[in-house]
Amino acid sequence: MSRLRYIAKRVALSVPVVWLGTTMTWAIIYLGPIDPATRLLSEGQTQNPAAYEAARTQLGLDQPPLQHYFDWMGSLLTFDLGQTWLLYQGSDVNALILDFLPRTLWLGFWSVLIAVCIGVPLGFYAGMRSNTASDYVASMGGIVWRAMPNFWLGIMLLAVLGSSQAIFGFDWQSLWIELDALTGSPDLSRLHTVEGFLAATKKVLPAAIVLGSASMGNEMRIGRTAVLEVRNEDYVDLARAKGVSERALVWKHIFRNALIPLVPIITSEAFLLIGGSVLVETVFSINGIGLLFFNAATQGDLPLVGTLMYVFILLIVGVNLLQDVLYTVIDPRVGLEGA
Amino acid sequence: MSDEPLLSVRDLEVVFHTERERIHAVDGVTFEIREGQTVGLVGESGSGKSVTARSILGLVDEPGRIEGGEILYRGEDLTEDNWADHRGDIAIVFQDPTNSLNPVYTIGNQIEEALRIHQDLRGRAATDRAIELLEDVGIPDAPRRVDEYPHQLSGGMAQRAVIAMALACDPDLLVCDEPTTALDVTIQAQILDLLAELQAEQDLAILFITHDMGVIEDATDWVNVIYAGEVVERAPTEALFDHPAHPYTRALLESIPGRTDPDERLPTIEGEVPTPTGPATDCRFAPRCPEAFEDCRSVAPEHVSLDGDRSAACLLHDPARSDGGERQ
Repeated sequence: MSRLRYIAKRVALSVPVVWLGTTMTWAIIYLGPIDPATRLLSEGQTQNPAAYEAARTQLGLDQPPLQHYFDWMGSLLTFDLGQTWLLYQGSDVNALILDFLPRTLWLGFWSVLIAVCIGVPLGFYAGMRSNTASDYVASMGGIVWRAMPNFWLGIMLLAVLGSSQAIFGFDWQSLWIELDALTGSPDLSRLHTVEGFLAATKKVLPAAIVLGSASMGNEMRIGRTAVLEVRNEDYVDLARAKGVSERALVWKHIFRNALIPLVPIITSEAFLLIGGSVLVETVFSINGIGLLFFNAATQGDLPLVGTLMYVFILLIVGVNLLQDVLYTVIDPRVGLEGA
Repeated sequence: MSDEPLLSVRDLEVVFHTERERIHAVDGVTFEIREGQTVGLVGESGSGKSVTARSILGLVDEPGRIEGGEILYRGEDLTEDNWADHRGDIAIVFQDPTNSLNPVYTIGNQIEEALRIHQDLRGRAATDRAIELLEDVGIPDAPRRVDEYPHQLSGGMAQRAVIAMALACDPDLLVCDEPTTALDVTIQAQILDLLAELQAEQDLAILFITHDMGVIEDATDWVNVIYAGEVVERAPTEALFDHPAHPYTRALLESIPGRTDPDERLPTIEGEVPTPTGPATDCRFAPRCPEAFEDCRSVAPEHVSLDGDRSAACLLHDPARSDGGERQ
């Protein structure tokens, strides 16, 4: 079976997953114990039957549940997401998501990248020099990174960067590229210019390091174990006996095999990072989709919660697909036939 | 036998350092292989035969270290970190073919890698040669197999591919570390035939490491019996099978099915191979030896020359110690 057909099959198989996820979301929100309509009413309106009925009509809750379910699913599938009822009242949900999601994706992108680019090489380095002093230092570092809680690390990092002039002798905020403020949402409108790209990157960098810290530690630990395991395989010894140079041994024979157990780790970490972190987005005042979701949930804008759930489901299924594709590229044993 | 041996291992000592003790996995092993000869190294699990094989290739991993002796390849001592200069001269085939091939590269890729290093072949020429080699080791449909991944091959086929990869290095000596143990009996015989064929065609020397006396009888010219890191008997294969000199060899031969009375229970050697943690101060086989006497527990036996070139490290053959003198 060709790779294209394999991917097509994977996409087809993810349809039921999306369906199940959204159906469960609908059931929890609209058949659950909280009446979405009452949540939309202001304090004074709760006793007013006319206002309550109006809210029910607006949400389509006056229809039979099944009819409502099909309407709701239909509007999700066509991305006709309507407008908000409570949070940012009356704004277009599509526009809201397009506004908030890119910031989270930008933050998630950098936190995944930083975690992968530091955690994996560090883990491989430690694995190649197992049980030496440099391995112990790297491994300890990995555990410490892994153990530091996000909210604490975020506040500490901000405190240090805020007084960087006194501590390091340079001012982080004005270093290389002037930032308007230490925290806040990155400006993504000028990404196509070099300066805009760097400014947006610098802005999310501290948040991305904090968000990626745990994954970095995880990937380091798994990377180290993977290299250690592969290093002791017969085929590595056989390649060495064959006269393969040390460099080719590491990059050709060890590296690719050690990546195989890392792929699911990296992608499952990516779920968390792309899904956004309320804590990190709060500490760094980034108006991302994680914060939006949290506010929608705490303030009871249940229709918006449902819609955002749909977005998260799509993101997760998307990352899963990416993982399947990466597998087929790295490991030929992942059968294109049996999938 | 005046010519210089191809490979000569002398007093090889390989020690594994663990937190609690030093394990002498190989303790003074000495043997030789001449060009075109097949030499067997036979012993139980844990006797140090695989470590010996890996030492010859310079593949002993931490915490193991070669701490003494010489491995002379054409007179040059490999233990002085000379392995890099002789890569390809000595090739190795491991026990488990499915672990011997890198799972993420095609068979062809891995054979061509060796061809590039040792015969400077690239591209189409390398692929053609790789196909030829696969045909030489009896893999049917080689032009298609060359593009397949290791997991697509059966165990027997994979072991043939490993042998093809070893041949791509154009070696003078092939070290076979239990090459048939992981395979079905019928496939075992085929692989042994293939090795014999290749040896006759290419004048290859083979070091055959196994615990299977039957394989030794079929495949080798000369045998070294290894026990707890020491060679206890060395002899031409035929002479060894006819007149085993060391009690351990005798016990090994008696435990081969079919050599003793079929109505009787097959004899076994009670106990297990000890783990040598210090220099030998006694005969390490004495606790399991039916013929042990007092001196065996206080004297480390030296090799005693017997008829022909053979020798055995056993006090029974030491005229000064044993009243019985030579038993054979």
